[in-house]
Amino acid sequence: MLIKKRAPLTSHNQAANSRLSDALSTVAGSTVDRRTFLKRSGLAAGGAALAGGLAAGTVRKTEAAALVSDPKAEVKKAICTHCSVGCTVNAEVSNGVWIGQEPAFDSPLNLGSHCAKGAAVREHAHGDRRLKYPMKLEGGKYKRISWEQAITEVGDRLLKIRETSGPDSVYWLGSAKFSNEQSYLMRKFAALWGTNNVDHQARICHSTTVAGVAQTWGYGAMTNSYNDIHNSKAMFFIGSNAAEAHPVAMLHILKAKEQNKAPLIVCDPRFTRTAAHADEYVRLRPGTDVPLIWGILYHIFENGWEDKEYIRKRVWGMDQVRAEVAKWTPEETERVTGVPGAQVKRVAELLAKNRPGTVVWCMGGTQHTVGNNNVRAYCILQLALGNTGVAGGGTNIFRGHDNVQGATDMGLDVTTLPAYYGLAAPAWKHWARVWGLDYEWIKARFKTPELMEAPGIPVSRWYDGVNEAKENVAQPDTIKAMIYWGHAPNSQTRQPELKKAMEKLDTLVVIDPYPTVSAVLHDRTDGVYLLPAATQFEVDGSRTASNRSIQWSERVIKPMFECKADHEIMYLFARKFGYDAELFKNIKVNGSEPLVEDILREINKGAWTIAYTGQSPERLKAHMANQQTFDKTTLRAVGGPCDGDYYGLPWPCWGNADAKHPGTPNLYDTSKPVKEGGLNFRALFPEYKGESLLAVDSWPEGSELPAGHPGVTFGMLKKLGFEADFTPDELAVIQKIGGEKVDDVAWTVDMSGGIQRVAVKHGIAPFGNGKARAVVWNFPDPVPIHREPLYTPRRDLVEKYPTYADKKMMRLPFLYKTVQDKDVSKEFPIILTSGRLVEYEGGGDETRSNPWLAELQPDMFVEVNVFDANNAGLRHGEYCWVHGPEGGKVKVKAKITERVGRGVAFMPFHFGGWFQGKDLRSKYPEGASPIVLGESTNTAQTYGYDAVTAMQETKVTLCRIEKFTA
Amino acid sequence: MARMKFLCDAERCIHCSGCVTACKNEHEVPWGINRRRVVTLNDGKPGQRSLSVACMHCSDAPCMAVCPVDCFYQTNDGIVLHNKDLCIGCGYCFYACPFGAPQYPSTGNFGGRGKMDKCTFCSGGPEEDHSKAELEKYGRNRIAEGKLPLCAEMCATKALLAGDGDMVSTIYRERVMARGFGSGAAGWSHAYGKKG
Amino acid sequence: MRWTTFLALLMMVAGFWAGYGLEPALAASSDGDVPTAAQSGQVTLPDTWRAIRQGEPGFIAGQPQDRGVLIQSEGETWRAARNGKLTWYAGLALVGVSLAIGAFYLIRGKIMIEGGPSGRMILRFNRIERIGHWLTAGSFLVLGVTGLNIMFGRWLLEPIIGKTLFSWLTWAGKWLHNLSGFVFIAGLVVIFALWAKDNLWDRYDWGWIMHGGGLLKMGDHPPAAKFNFGQKTQFWMVIVVGSLVASTGVSLLFPFTFAQLHGMQVMQLIHAGLAVVMVLFILGHIYIGTVGMEGASTAVTTGYVDLEWAREHHSVWVEEVEGKQTKPAE
Ligand SMILES: Nc1nc2c(c(=O)[nH]1)N[C@H]1C(S)=C(S)[C@@H](COP(=O)(O)OP(=O)(O)OC[C@H]3O[C@@H](n4cnc5c(=O)[nH]c(N)nc54)[C@H](O)[C@@H]3O)O[C@H]1N2
Ligand SMILES: Nc1nc2c(c(=O)[nH]1)N[C@H]1C(S)=C(S)[C@@H](COP(=O)(O)OP(=O)(O)OC[C@H]3O[C@@H](n4cnc5c(=O)[nH]c(N)nc54)[C@H](O)[C@@H]3O)O[C@H]1N2
Ligand code: HEM
Ligand code: HEM
Ligand code: SF4
Ligand code: SF4
Ligand code: SF4
Ligand code: SF4
Ligand code: SF4
Ligand SMILES: [Mo]
Repeated sequence: MLIKKRAPLTSHNQAANSRLSDALSTVAGSTVDRRTFLKRSGLAAGGAALAGGLAAGTVRKTEAAALVSDPKAEVKKAICTHCSVGCTVNAEVSNGVWIGQEPAFDSPLNLGSHCAKGAAVREHAHGDRRLKYPMKLEGGKYKRISWEQAITEVGDRLLKIRETSGPDSVYWLGSAKFSNEQSYLMRKFAALWGTNNVDHQARICHSTTVAGVAQTWGYGAMTNSYNDIHNSKAMFFIGSNAAEAHPVAMLHILKAKEQNKAPLIVCDPRFTRTAAHADEYVRLRPGTDVPLIWGILYHIFENGWEDKEYIRKRVWGMDQVRAEVAKWTPEETERVTGVPGAQVKRVAELLAKNRPGTVVWCMGGTQHTVGNNNVRAYCILQLALGNTGVAGGGTNIFRGHDNVQGATDMGLDVTTLPAYYGLAAPAWKHWARVWGLDYEWIKARFKTPELMEAPGIPVSRWYDGVNEAKENVAQPDTIKAMIYWGHAPNSQTRQPELKKAMEKLDTLVVIDPYPTVSAVLHDRTDGVYLLPAATQFEVDGSRTASNRSIQWSERVIKPMFECKADHEIMYLFARKFGYDAELFKNIKVNGSEPLVEDILREINKGAWTIAYTGQSPERLKAHMANQQTFDKTTLRAVGGPCDGDYYGLPWPCWGNADAKHPGTPNLYDTSKPVKEGGLNFRALFPEYKGESLLAVDSWPEGSELPAGHPGVTFGMLKKLGFEADFTPDELAVIQKIGGEKVDDVAWTVDMSGGIQRVAVKHGIAPFGNGKARAVVWNFPDPVPIHREPLYTPRRDLVEKYPTYADKKMMRLPFLYKTVQDKDVSKEFPIILTSGRLVEYEGGGDETRSNPWLAELQPDMFVEVNVFDANNAGLRHGEYCWVHGPEGGKVKVKAKITERVGRGVAFMPFHFGGWFQGKDLRSKYPEGASPIVLGESTNTAQTYGYDAVTAMQETKVTLCRIEKFTA
Repeated sequence: MARMKFLCDAERCIHCSGCVTACKNEHEVPWGINRRRVVTLNDGKPGQRSLSVACMHCSDAPCMAVCPVDCFYQTNDGIVLHNKDLCIGCGYCFYACPFGAPQYPSTGNFGGRGKMDKCTFCSGGPEEDHSKAELEKYGRNRIAEGKLPLCAEMCATKALLAGDGDMVSTIYRERVMARGFGSGAAGWSHAYGKKG
Repeated sequence: MRWTTFLALLMMVAGFWAGYGLEPALAASSDGDVPTAAQSGQVTLPDTWRAIRQGEPGFIAGQPQDRGVLIQSEGETWRAARNGKLTWYAGLALVGVSLAIGAFYLIRGKIMIEGGPSGRMILRFNRIERIGHWLTAGSFLVLGVTGLNIMFGRWLLEPIIGKTLFSWLTWAGKWLHNLSGFVFIAGLVVIFALWAKDNLWDRYDWGWIMHGGGLLKMGDHPPAAKFNFGQKTQFWMVIVVGSLVASTGVSLLFPFTFAQLHGMQVMQLIHAGLAVVMVLFILGHIYIGTVGMEGASTAVTTGYVDLEWAREHHSVWVEEVEGKQTKPAE
């Protein structure tokens, strides 16, 4: 018989069995067998060192990452680069080749799990369709050039533009794919170039969240964590399709559902894969989130289900909200949202009776002209229920890219310097101090001091910065050069306009592991450069997961081909531009590669506002090495070298590393002392119109200042009698910063960390103890209100719920009323919304080039309701045209389904490489086109921007769907 | 004696295809061959459920029964494997398999579909454990390393269970028990005031 | 279905049962096309379960719809038929018929030319006809042997020659089988074109039937034209059943081109079943053409038969041929 010869079967069966129980124990309910966890991690460690690579400059051949078995393979711990869950990837490396991927059971975030993308990241080791060397478009063809030539030519072109049009005419578009160190470095790089035209994906992702939530209670971030959902008694998802966008989060969500019997409520216009697991699915009309929330709150207030004590102590302005909510009777709510009144009431009751409950939102809420209103309405719901600042509660805002939280924190953004310091003079002065540079020198880098403090043009509208008449753009000249540094173009709406801009530019540069749609969308014949960047698996660096845990990701393999790490490319450009000495003043550069750890240390030295200061490289590395010691629910290490720390030192991690703050797992949680991760709401504005906004009768456990108070200053601590706690070194630094006004030195600028350390020691939250603001008076709609989308089929509601008046901000004119006034709902009767598929990510260049993923989704499609499809004569699987009201059209396959309701269509946005029916494959550099190409929905997607952050509206527009004709 | 089994918990599976690409990755399964696939029923409608399927390693395996060249064998722990050197690509196992597990490098060609490929429960084939030949023909042999199938180990939601049948069913039973007193129903009890 | 397989099935779909059994009733509160409760368990889960068992395909991205079938129970039916009845009855029939022929030979002996060979040969099948016969016959022999090997080899041959050699032989046999299928089809076309009209019913056939073809009694020679009724039966059997075997064979050869999985399962059973039926007939034919009858075989080798043989078996045909020969050329 062919039964194969084996070691005694029982032995490995036992191994296999204990492995199964390990893998499941934490999620299946039984206790964690820590011993086995330890044992296994012991097995995983060790192995041979990475074999020496090839000399610099030579092309590294695609190391055929064919299946090799090597029991002694080294295991590198990296982080999945595809979403904010931050799953650990255990990469097995043998002789410099990435040969295998093992489940990272030790990671408290993913417990070994992966979704399709994470389980396929080893494809990086093949890199078949990567951009392999620098290329330049010449006579309509991409030709290979050397790095040296690339840096020289691109550098010269940019310097010339800087000369003739000013530094603001070069747009530096960074990436949420960057590590924290790279994001930070790039922000600094742009600052020294002399512009605020530097942005990244967060603008078109969660910018409304960041702004709205920070203004409400302090920090623009997920309050709790994926793991903390284990404690939830109810889960309210609105505009989040976690099953596709954050699949491994579902591990935690389903656990709560099973073990806490927590009802899962999903509010989404589509019956998504997340909704399929819901207890209550609420189908709302796209763009009616505020009415739905107010409709729910209506019942909460009506029945007195709100947490009155909590509101009294910790919330400001709830009465104004009450007045607005009173307008949203069940009838009006149903009329506007389409949700049956009885269901709204049922949901309200579910939330009221199952506390603490968590609210989760994502792009369905943020990507709207009223995105900032939506997110604040969600926060207010949690404030009314008293759910924020408790385990199991909070607003679990699932963020986007693997490091979009970090890149946002690092200020890779047109409105701020790193760590949300803003752009005003004190912010610049603070960072000048951190960088060891002269403030005046930096100022001189800018065209004018005003431009230095003026927000730049947001990425959502960079092409308007090219196309608009010069006089409409509030900077010396329009944009002349675009640097797409880790960002796809097909993720921005209004593709025909974007194409036009690309053609109008002087220079277009793509710095990316893939050529991306940027290489082919335009009809240029020259002036385009493609520079191959290394992926995050080819560099070391820290990245911040959605829950603010910072994870150190180890380099798995050396950069493939001629790819270079982004920070190295930044160095090369800085050198070309002549400010490398300033940029790297505190940072060691090895050859041309800056030392990542040094960059992080500089961040630690300056990012006090959000306390990214305690997370030294050493501490972060220790956390990765001891993942198994962290509890899978609380995220707290029990014993081991990191005892007491929260996993990844979720910020704020007060003081410097020596202060050993454990990180803050749940924001604003007063049940714990600040030094153990407790907190209260931030006192952003201590008072308004003479009324105090400080917390009443509420403070973190053990606070020695049991009262509301403003942000901590040196003077305040002195008054409290804590001066003696400062070390002489700290005092010296504070003295130096404060000069005359040493008492005014605040917790945000004290580079010694002493103020934070001393405050926290006495249980005081450095950022003050204020009330959350239900009313954000500095926003266009202080109390969130409903405004119909710019393109709405409900013309009957426009009068009652009109959009904003046109206005100017961020250097550009912004249209609202002008667009909404034009009624196109007759010709374009179907609401078009867009979003994600689990297999692909973002613009999709990376994932559509991965055969393991590409095989799963070969065609771009539009989801159309059966009713609408039959009316339009469409057939399942056949091509159709989707026309947008601004003239863009896309040729896509019809997917006829009840997933979308009548009058609503949905398209995924990950496709590219086709434009209005034309296949652009032949334009890609040879061998570097993604396996799957398709239309970008954004070709049909239209105008519309959030009134605070310029977030693009991708979730509601109108369209017409027609049978395909050639 | 352990008896290896798979179970996919439809209450958990979210059709994320992590199991599918994990398998592709682990064994470098070529384009067009899918040892594992995920299927969603009632797609887009209430009652939507997904299940991940591969070879179930049946006890009285139909594939094994019908193979004209008798190239299947079942290991002591119940894993159904086959010998690619013997396989003539006739397709009979595919006709017989209830789960559509067997896969072929080509379907439409005259005479040869190539050697059948299917899920090995990550336990290689008849070649020497961890040999080059085994890797190339069958992929990795995790079982011999004391590990379990990667698809299940990496499953995003731990919906897919693999391992000794008794353990698998114990885990599953625990879950069903947990859900029994609520889970999906909790919301409804609340709405109608029936919470016990 | 064996219980163990059933267990596997059950394990996989256990989730559905569990969900079904434990979900309390959910009130239907759906207004319009707003599906409010996602888990309207009572209504949909048993349906889902049934759908799975009935092989209704689910959604599967990027792959043919039929990959969306979770359980195809037909596989079990097919297996049962093929490994059970088909193999079993086919085997019995083959053994039975072979024994019967042997017995017939022992009882009846070789059918001799009664008048003794005349020594004068007469052209029965011209070159083209002979090629037609051997295209059909030769390929059939290959198909039969290789086909039966697929069916029985595992039980009969493999234990003797070992897995490796057997697999190699079967592999080669499969290729031969697949290739000679086309030769067989060509043969069918040729013989149909040549012989169809001679195989139409004529007035001698009734008599031939009444005389049992003359096989039973010595000296009984019912008149027949070019082909007697027995041969006609055999001819039409070859044409009709051969076409069926050929067409089902071709559909198996190009999977999913002419039929989907269930179609192919049916095709396979028809193919194998009819193939065996044919083999049974042809066993008789070959017997008659060789050891069973003196003077027959040369018709398909040299093309000539002894005049005496012809007179005994195809008297009408001989007259026709001779008449033609004596007729003056036109
Ligand atoms: N597979 C995969 N995962 C990803 C990404 C990816 O590209 N692919 N990207 C990552 C990134 S960058 C992000 S930001 C996240 C995004 O993650 P999600 O926001 O969860 O994903 P989306 O599909 O964009 O949108 C979520 C849902 O919003 C719904 N929606 C549309 N309009 C409205 C509305 O008006 N109101 C409400 N309430 N809902 C609406 C859509 O139907 C959709 O189901 O995913 C991250 N994860
Ligand atoms: N219609 C519609 N449009 C949308 C959305 C929507 O829901 N609907 N969602 C929006 C949202 S939330 C987002 S976040 C955006 C996302 O859209 P994009 O961010 O444009 O899409 P990605 O493809 O993720 O872009 C990341 C790029 O970085 C590259 N990259 C990866 N690693 C590295 C690295 O280490 N270095 C460098 N230099 N490059 C790297 C990748 O190859 C890829 O080209 O799309 C937005 N667009
Ligand atoms: C060793 C194998 C075979 C031998 C010796 C043989 C011999 C013969 C002979 C002698 C004849 C002529 C009968 C006559 O003169 O009337 C004949 C005819 C014929 N043979 Fe064969 N044959 C063989 C195999 C086959 C096979 C495998 C097939 C078909 C599948 C076949 C189909 C026919 C047909 C259709 C005819 C013409 C009509 C008839 O006689 O039935 N033969 N064969
Ligand atoms: C055009 C003619 C034919 C074609 C294309 C054809 C094709 C096939 C194919 C594709 C198979 C499936 C097995 C495999 O792929 O290895 C098969 C099986 C088989 N064929 Fe044919 N065939 C033809 C004619 C015949 C004839 C004339 C016979 C009879 C002698 C025959 C007897 C068999 C048998 C017995 C099997 C095996 C069935 C089983 O094991 O269940 N075939 N054939
Ligand atoms: S994409 Fe997100 S959920 Fe999937 S493996 Fe990567 S980090 Fe985890
Ligand atoms: S191939 Fe099919 S029949 Fe054979 S063991 Fe696997 S699931 Fe069962
Ligand atoms: S395809 Fe291969 S394994 Fe399957 S039945 Fe045929 S010979 Fe056996
Ligand atoms: S057990 Fe292994 S071979 Fe089978 S599907 Fe899972 S990963 Fe693939
Ligand atoms: S990985 Fe798990 S949840 Fe995802 S499709 Fe596979 S079985 Fe389902
Ligand atoms: Mo995003």
